[in-house]
Amino acid sequence: MLATLPPVDFPPVVPPIAGRVEQSALSFFVDVRPGQEEELRAELQAISGDPAGNDVLPFGELAGVHFGRLVLLDAYPAQGKRRAYPAKLCLLTDFDGELDDHVDDVLDTAGAGLDRLFRHCEGYPVGAGKRSASAAARGAWLRDRVVRTNTLYVNTVGRTVEQILQEAELHDAIDAFLDDGDWTDASPRRVRAAIQDFVNSRHDLGWAMAPLPERTVRDWIRGAPGLAKTPLAIAASAPLWIPALPVWAATLLAKEATDPTEDDLEPDEAHDAALAALEDHTPQNQFTAHGFVKDGPFRNLTANVLLRVVDYITRYSFNRGQLTGVTTIHFARWVFTDEDQTRLLFASNYDGSLESYMDDFIDKVSWGLNAVFSNGVGYPRTWLLTIGGARQEDNFKDYLRRHQVPSQVWFSAYPHLTAMNIENNAQIRAGLVGEISDRECEKWLARV
Amino acid sequence: MSNETLDHDDIQGLLAWGYGHLPSAAWHLMKVTDRRKAARWLSTTTELVTTAAGESPKDVAINVALTPSGLTRLGLPGSVLDGFSPEFRGGMTTEHRQRVLGDADQRAPKHWQWGGPQNEDVDLIVLLYAASDAALAELEGQVLGDAVAIGVSPVRRLDTTWLGDREHFGFHDGISQPAVAGLRPGRPEDTIAAGEFILGYENEYGKRTDRPLLEPAADPDGLLPTAAENGELADLGRNGSYLVVRQLGQDVPGFWRFADAASRHNGGRSSGSPKQAREALAARIVGRWPSGAPLTLSPEGDEPALGSENDFGYHDADAEGLKCPIGAHVRRANPRDSLEPRPGTSDSIDVNKRHRLLRRGRTYGDPITPEQALTTGTTGTGDDPRGLMFACVCGNLARQFEFVQHTWVNNPKFAGLYEDPDPLLGPAGGTLTIQAKPVRKRVTALPEFVSVHGGGYFFLPGVRALRYLAALAS
Repeated sequence: MLATLPPVDFPPVVPPIAGRVEQSALSFFVDVRPGQEEELRAELQAISGDPAGNDVLPFGELAGVHFGRLVLLDAYPAQGKRRAYPAKLCLLTDFDGELDDHVDDVLDTAGAGLDRLFRHCEGYPVGAGKRSASAAARGAWLRDRVVRTNTLYVNTVGRTVEQILQEAELHDAIDAFLDDGDWTDASPRRVRAAIQDFVNSRHDLGWAMAPLPERTVRDWIRGAPGLAKTPLAIAASAPLWIPALPVWAATLLAKEATDPTEDDLEPDEAHDAALAALEDHTPQNQFTAHGFVKDGPFRNLTANVLLRVVDYITRYSFNRGQLTGVTTIHFARWVFTDEDQTRLLFASNYDGSLESYMDDFIDKVSWGLNAVFSNGVGYPRTWLLTIGGARQEDNFKDYLRRHQVPSQVWFSAYPHLTAMNIENNAQIRAGLVGEISDRECEKWLARV
Repeated sequence: MSNETLDHDDIQGLLAWGYGHLPSAAWHLMKVTDRRKAARWLSTTTELVTTAAGESPKDVAINVALTPSGLTRLGLPGSVLDGFSPEFRGGMTTEHRQRVLGDADQRAPKHWQWGGPQNEDVDLIVLLYAASDAALAELEGQVLGDAVAIGVSPVRRLDTTWLGDREHFGFHDGISQPAVAGLRPGRPEDTIAAGEFILGYENEYGKRTDRPLLEPAADPDGLLPTAAENGELADLGRNGSYLVVRQLGQDVPGFWRFADAASRHNGGRSSGSPKQAREALAARIVGRWPSGAPLTLSPEGDEPALGSENDFGYHDADAEGLKCPIGAHVRRANPRDSLEPRPGTSDSIDVNKRHRLLRRGRTYGDPITPEQALTTGTTGTGDDPRGLMFACVCGNLARQFEFVQHTWVNNPKFAGLYEDPDPLLGPAGGTLTIQAKPVRKRVTALPEFVSVHGGGYFFLPGVRALRYLAALAS
């Protein structure tokens, strides 16, 4: 059975590069006041008309935001032994820099505009009579509800919005320059020199001739503690978990054999239509899914450990343009939406259609997705967390669609660029300066 | 891959053959007007339906497929209909599906001649083939004779014109087809699990695609086959498939005029005659030469000896697209071994195998040569007198037809490109990037060569399922 696991090439772990800004994620959840859902939904509807520039929360005016979304999770009535959950408003962003600075930016830029969203939410310091919350009260309230993002995937760590937009401009300018010339008999080096001259002649592209900082020994020294922390913690705790492993595996196998699935359930037609209405308007799409983690401390522990491990791997290994061969995901995250860790949310920004995205999941990352998702209630049956699961195509696709929720507001800073475009643009810029071999020169020209 | 035995005599012949021996064909779109009479007609016609048993017929062929409204009008309960795929149930013209299929602007279903929201309902399609036009007329009379008596009335007759193995732009077509395991032999890269095309069997994931499975009470006479995964249940889908039909107009004058004009300055080869230059550019749009020779194997000029050649990959021979442009039509409609994961390996081909289509289209309208085309005004969109009655068969509309259309054909970002939808099928304004040394050439502002005039999703049932459907109303 193990033979069915596809080979995975883990890129070597690398530390961050000094001088390049790292990406972070904001995850903010708040309960909606009972009976306020529809007013809030109307507010979200209005914002969705202009996610970048609206006067409530203008994502496009925030510094360095790659993607942002506002999601309204429906209330969940008590069922069986499950408690009731009020409706929740989620604010999720992927941005350049530190979380604290970003939260300050949100508060400063949106200011009182946020009242229109948050006045529908529990505990927000503005009543019906008051006109507005004080900046201090608003800030404290918001910061209180920001939670740690459990697992974050960033397509390329260290690549900022500014860089992405600049390099797209560079690509387009070089495209137009090449279109205007006849290069049939030119040598590769002459073409490269002509492109360099052209870029040099364009003052607005001057930045492109300045190389980006490269990884140095100093980065390795500075980054070593971060790189080593998780492996060391795993090694140090080995005397604890190695003896427990057989028990854990036996427990897991027993649970996997009997956990109920939802294989017989089909997506609801109206739900499907509501989701489809938000999809395939640009080359990019958003995906948000929400569901219960299987009950009990065993699954809670398993999910938490896996989220940590995957977070480590994505931060230090899969941080350069691909996730086990999938080159279409810009940002993705897993985060618990409730303090008691009973429900998990998955949110991603990707290229292409949901169908191609799910096919990539199944064909290229099924084992990794299975490991986390199989701790969710109703997931198609797995064996030792990794085998099966998503490979049961129809059941898996139905499961995802049924747990998917509409992202009422979605913002992308570069909706016309795929992750592959962005990577190619970055390589064009990287090869613009410096000495390169004839072969490298030919390969570089194949990118422009 | 499992080696399940196929029920050849329950599978409609369209899954096995394109009926190349039968040059005369007409596809009739019909509407049920009287449920009981229609059921009797279907019952009679079912016994005439051509199956996959034996050889491709030499005299006539008859196949029948139904839309959701057709199934409903015959009396299939909604709860059973729900067992079909959402794409089939929703139909080709939903707002979201228009984005997926690229049916925007002039291609939008509201402009269609059939199958659109403004057009008459289509309940079923009767595909008739014969060895001659006279024999076809006779067959039409025999099968569809008196509309009032049979309870199904004609909505539209989709005419076809036999061009042999050519399509209207003048290229050898239909060369690359998947071989359905158990139906016909093929090279390993093209041999696809039966369940990819025929419901009820294992697909490339080793699973059986969802389809309506009925409680025994719903099939008291045991007309239906039983489900392979559960012998208690009757399988309405088994030996059936989904049929996609789209009427694609082809602006042949527009195509050759553009190739001629563009190859004079920015396309194709700079040397050679104007004819060679425009053929070279046209070949880069298509990915094969008019003879069918793949550019990957014959990049410099047409090589008729390679006209039916299909045994090649892209990765080893031409990973960079220097021979066949990465965005060329055939390279994106069937990328073979060129995509992730691990291009050039069986891993890449395995993924490709999950997105194959069994094409069963026929040309329509009178042909003109490229030379005639150059002296004729472009027909523009919406009024082409000729084109392709595109048809394909697949077991999973979302993962096969719609995926190919959206992720590969229409996608301007295909394989790392920027603004290059399919140069042959794409909307106006696209770019064809021709990878070259020292740098690529770009053919920009491509016109729209292909327009959409109609379409629909159909269920192509097994013969026993047809009998079951016919019995619903009696």
